[in-house]
Amino acid sequence: MSYNAEKTLPYRVELYRQIKRKRTLFAYAFVLALPVIVASAVKFGPSGHSGGPTRLGSGTADLIGLATQGAANFTITMFYFATPFLLIAVVSLFNGDTVASEASWSTLRYLLAAPVPRTRLLIQKLKVSLTLSAIAMILLPIASWFIGLIAFGSKPLQTPLGATLANSVAINRLFVITAYVSISLLFTAGLAFYISVTTDVPLGAVGGAIGVVILLNILDAISGLGSIRVWLPVHYSFSWFDALSSSIQWGSMIRGASYSIMTFALFIAFAIIKFGKKDVTS
Amino acid sequence: MKSRTLPALAVLTLLFTSVFGFTSARAATKISLPTQLVLQGANGVSLDSSLYLPSKFPAPAILLAHGFGGSKNSVATQAQYLAQNGYVVLAWSARGFGQSTGQITMDSPKNEIADVQKLITYLGTRKEVIQQGADDPLVGIAGASYGGAAALLTAGYDKRIDAVVADITWNNLKNSLFPQSIQGSSVAGPFKKTWAGSFFAIATLPNSYLGECGNFSQEWCDAFVNSLNAGKPTARAEQLLLESSPSTVTKNISVPTLLMQGESDSLFQLSESIATASQISSAHPKTPLAMYWHSSGHDGGPDESALTNEKTLQWFDKYLKNKSLNFPNFQVVDSNGTISLQDSTVIPKNLQGSVLPLGSKTAMIQIAPNLSPFVAPIGGIPAALSSLPGLGGALSLASSAISSLGDSAIPGGVVSAALLPGQSAVLDSQPLTKPLTIIGASKVKVHISSNRKDATLFFSLVIHTPEGGVKQPNGLVAPIYIENIPTSGADVTVNLPAVVTDASIGDKIAVAVSSTDQGFQLPNDGRFYSVQMISPLTIPVTPLQAEIQKSDFITWPIAAVITILIAFGLVYWRRPRHNNEPLEESDALVSVTNLSKVYKDGYKAVSGLSFSVKRGQVVGLLGPNGAGKTTTLRMMMGLIYPTDGEIAIDNKPIYPGSPALANLGSFVEGPGFLPHLSGRENLNLYWRSIGREDEPMIEDALEIAGLGTALDKKVRSYSQGMRQRLAIAQAMLGMPDLLVLDEPTNGLDPQQIVAMRKVLKKYAKTGRTVIISSHLLSEVQQTCTHVVLMHRGQLIAFGTMKKILTRANKKVESLEDIFIELIGDDLTIGKE
Repeated sequence: MSYNAEKTLPYRVELYRQIKRKRTLFAYAFVLALPVIVASAVKFGPSGHSGGPTRLGSGTADLIGLATQGAANFTITMFYFATPFLLIAVVSLFNGDTVASEASWSTLRYLLAAPVPRTRLLIQKLKVSLTLSAIAMILLPIASWFIGLIAFGSKPLQTPLGATLANSVAINRLFVITAYVSISLLFTAGLAFYISVTTDVPLGAVGGAIGVVILLNILDAISGLGSIRVWLPVHYSFSWFDALSSSIQWGSMIRGASYSIMTFALFIAFAIIKFGKKDVTS
Repeated sequence: MKSRTLPALAVLTLLFTSVFGFTSARAATKISLPTQLVLQGANGVSLDSSLYLPSKFPAPAILLAHGFGGSKNSVATQAQYLAQNGYVVLAWSARGFGQSTGQITMDSPKNEIADVQKLITYLGTRKEVIQQGADDPLVGIAGASYGGAAALLTAGYDKRIDAVVADITWNNLKNSLFPQSIQGSSVAGPFKKTWAGSFFAIATLPNSYLGECGNFSQEWCDAFVNSLNAGKPTARAEQLLLESSPSTVTKNISVPTLLMQGESDSLFQLSESIATASQISSAHPKTPLAMYWHSSGHDGGPDESALTNEKTLQWFDKYLKNKSLNFPNFQVVDSNGTISLQDSTVIPKNLQGSVLPLGSKTAMIQIAPNLSPFVAPIGGIPAALSSLPGLGGALSLASSAISSLGDSAIPGGVVSAALLPGQSAVLDSQPLTKPLTIIGASKVKVHISSNRKDATLFFSLVIHTPEGGVKQPNGLVAPIYIENIPTSGADVTVNLPAVVTDASIGDKIAVAVSSTDQGFQLPNDGRFYSVQMISPLTIPVTPLQAEIQKSDFITWPIAAVITILIAFGLVYWRRPRHNNEPLEESDALVSVTNLSKVYKDGYKAVSGLSFSVKRGQVVGLLGPNGAGKTTTLRMMMGLIYPTDGEIAIDNKPIYPGSPALANLGSFVEGPGFLPHLSGRENLNLYWRSIGREDEPMIEDALEIAGLGTALDKKVRSYSQGMRQRLAIAQAMLGMPDLLVLDEPTNGLDPQQIVAMRKVLKKYAKTGRTVIISSHLLSEVQQTCTHVVLMHRGQLIAFGTMKKILTRANKKVESLEDIFIELIGDDLTIGKE
C-alpha cells in the first residue's frame, strides 16, 4: 500500500475527464460559431449582393463598421462582440461547473475519500478549468483571423482612431488584447469557481457567475453612479481598446489586469478556505 | 468569523468605501450663499455683484469675470468651487450685462477695465481679504472669453493683480475678427462675419427694445455696421479693436499667468494664447507662465469646466497661497487619445511638458510642389463649410469623418464640406512611416497668383488618410488676404492654424487651400488662383509626455501582489488543522471513539458513538432511517467533520485528506461516475486519480462488477444495478484493507445479491475488513460476523452476530426480533 498525495488527480487525468464532456465541445463550438456566423451574415447578407459588403456599423469610423476591412479588423470586432457575453459565459461555464458538477454526479465524495486532499482537488480542477478557458481565448482570435482572411482578405488593421497598423503590428496587438482579455476574465473565473465550491448545482454556479457579471456590467453602464464604477471589476473589461492606439496605452489595462488578478486571488483563497471546512454532503 | 462571511465582508467594505467616498465628496459641494452687492463702477455705472466668502478668512481674493452675454450668475458654480477651496470670490455682471447698468464697450480700458479696478479697490476695504498694504489686496483674476480678456487687460493695467487665469480669449481682437495669417502682414484679413454677427446678436437681441444696437455703445455699434459694409475694419474700428486687445498691455504683465485655450475654437484659436504667451515671456522672461489647451472652446466640444476649474484653482493655490504644486508649463488634451472603455467614444489623453509651444523647435515635412489651380466661385457660392458658431462640434466631427469615396469620385481630389472640388487644393506629403502628433502652429511658404491682383484664401493643415478621407483638425482654417499681387505671383509665408492632431502610419500630412469659407466675407466677383508650395512645411516639435498616472504603473501592480500574498496568508491562516499524532497502539483496524456530529441546524446525527472493528471482520452497521449510519460512514471517509470524538483507521487519525483514507474503499449513498465516460474509463481514471502506486487489480474488480461488454458503454446508459456493481468494483480497486459499503444490495436482483455475499465473505477472508450498512436485516444476518446497532445517533448494541442473537439469554431466531426488541416502535429520527 503506497499512497502519494502529490499524485492524486493528476492534471492530465482531470483534463481528460473534462475535455471529453459535451459542454466543453459546445462551448468551443459557440466560440467558433461567432466569427463564422458574422462573416457569413456579412458575406451573404441582404446588401452583400448589391455591391459592397454589408456594413455592420453606421459609420466608417467605428470598430464595427470597420469589421469587414480585413482579417485583423474582423478579429478585433469579434473580440468586441465576444467580450460582453460570450467569453464571460464560456469562462463561467468552465470554472463554475467544475466542482459543482462533481458534486452533482456524486463523484466528489469518492475523489475526496480516495483521498484527494481538498486544496489539491481545487488547484488541479482550477488548472484544468483555466486551461480550457485559455483554449477558448486562443481559439477566438485564431479562428476569427482565418475566417476573416477567407472572407475579407488581409488588409492592414484600420483602427477607429484613424490609425492603420500593418498586419505584423496588428498581430502583436492581438497578442496583447488576447492576453489582456484573458487576464480580465480572471475575475469571472474566480467568482464562478467560488460559487462552484459552494453549491451542488452546476447550472446555479454558472448562471450565478454570469448573472453577477451582467449585473455589474449594468451598474457600470449607469453613468450616474460616477466614480463608484471605477471599483467595479468589470469596468475595465474593454480596456483592451487602448491597444488600438497608435502606441499602446497601458494605464487602464494595467489597472484592469491588477484588479482582476486581485479579485481572482481572493476568490480562490475564499474558495479553498470554504471548501476546506465544508461538510461534503453531496 | 465563518469563511462564508469573508467574501461578503470584502464586498461590503468595497461598497462602503465607495459609497462613503461618494457621499463625502457630495458633502463638500454644499452651496455657500453669496452676499448680493451693488458696487460702484467707473463713470457712474453700478455693478451688480456677488461676494462669496470661504469658511476661513482672511483669504486671498479672486475676481471672477463672466463671458460675453452672461452675467455674474453664469460663473456661480465656479465661484462656489473657489470659495469652498478657501478664496474670497467677487463675481460681477459686466456693464451692459445682467443687472448692471452701462453699455457694452468690449472690455475697453476706459470702461470695463476701469470698473474692475474699482472692484479691486473695494476688495482692499474688505477685512476678509488678505491685504498686502494699503489698497493692495492679495487678488487674482480669472475669466473665460470676454472675461478672460478682461482678466488679461486688468493685469496689464493694474499692478495690484497678483495672478491671472485667462481661458478661451483673444490676444488681438482685430486679428480674431479680421484674421490675417500671412506672416508679417498688417493688412486686415477676411471678415469673420458669422462669428462677429453672432457676437453682436448676443448683445443686441435680448435688448432689442433699445434699438438695433441693443446695449452696445454707439461707437461699437457704428464700428460693426461700417466694417460689415466695407468688408474690412474702418480706421475707427481698428482703433477700438486695438484698445480692447490684451496685446497692447501684455508687456506690462509680470504676474503668474495661466493661459488656457480651446482646441475646438474657431473664434479665438489656439494661436491667440501663443501670441499672448510670446509677448509676456519676451517682456518678462521670468514671469511664471503656463498654458493649458483643452478640447473645448467656442465651437463646442466636450464640457471641460471641471478640468479648467481645477487648473484655475491649482494656479491660484500655487501663486496666491504659495502651495507647492507641480504645474507643468504646458498641458494639452489630445482628444484623439484612446477609445473609451464602454461606449467606443474616445477618451482624451493628457499630455504635458516643460516647454511652451512658442515655435522654438521645428521640423520639416516635404510637400508636393505641384502648381494647383482652382477658382473662387462668382458670388462666393457655394462656399466651403469648416466651422460655424453653434455648429462647431458637429462640424469638426463631420470634417474628420469625411466620405471615403475619395479618389474614385474626383481624380486627385477629395470630397469634403470644407474643401469643395474645383475651389480647393490639397497638397500632400509622402505617406508617413511613423505616427506623428502635431501640437502647435505650422507654417509654409507659398507662391500665390490671382487673376484679380488680390487673393482671399483659407489655408489649413489636414491629415489625408490612405482611404482618401481628409481630417481637418477641429475645422480650423487660417484665412489670408493679400493685395497687389504681381502677375508673376507673390511669395508669402502662411501661418497655419495651431492644432492638436495625430497622424498615423500611411497618412499624408497635407496643406489644404480653399477659396471659400462660409464663416467669412468673400469677394463677390470670381477669382482664378494658382497656389504652389515653395518651402517644406514647418511643423512645431513640442516635447510632451503623456500624463502618467503613477497609480496605474506602481500602486495597482503592488496592490495586486499584496493581495496575492494576503490570499496565500488567508489560506494558510484559515487552513483546517488536523491532529496528526499517531494514536495509541491497538489491534483494531477501525476505532471509533466518542464520535459526535451536530449539524449546523442543531440536528444531532451522531452522539457518543464508540466501537472498534478488527481485521477480517464483516461488520453490519444497523439502524432505522436517520439513526446516523450514513453520517458515521461519511465521517469515516473524511467528508464530514465530527463535532467531537475521532475515528482512526490502522491507528491513524481520519480527517479530510488523511493518508489513512488511502486504505479505505467506499461506496456510500449510491454510485458516482462521470456519465459521459464508459465504465472502464471511469475505473481507469479513478485509479489514476487516487495517488496509489501499487497494482490496481482492475480485472478482479471488473469481475465483481460483471458488466461484460457494457463496460465500454457510457455510464449514462447503465441501469441502476449496473452502476451499483461498478461502484462496488470501484470501491474494491487496489484491494484496500477496509471496505465501507452503504446499502450495497440495493437495486440488485437475488442472484446478484447471492454473488455479492460471496464476494464480501471472500474479501474478508484475506484478512481485510468490510463494514456494511443496511436495513435488510436478514441480509446482514447472513453476511456479517459483527453488528453495530444504532438508534437516534447512539450505539444500542455492539458485538458478534452470535452475541447479539443470544442477547439477554433469550434464544432468538432472527436479527429482526432483536432489532424490534431493542428499538421498539420508536422510530423518531435522531435527537433534537
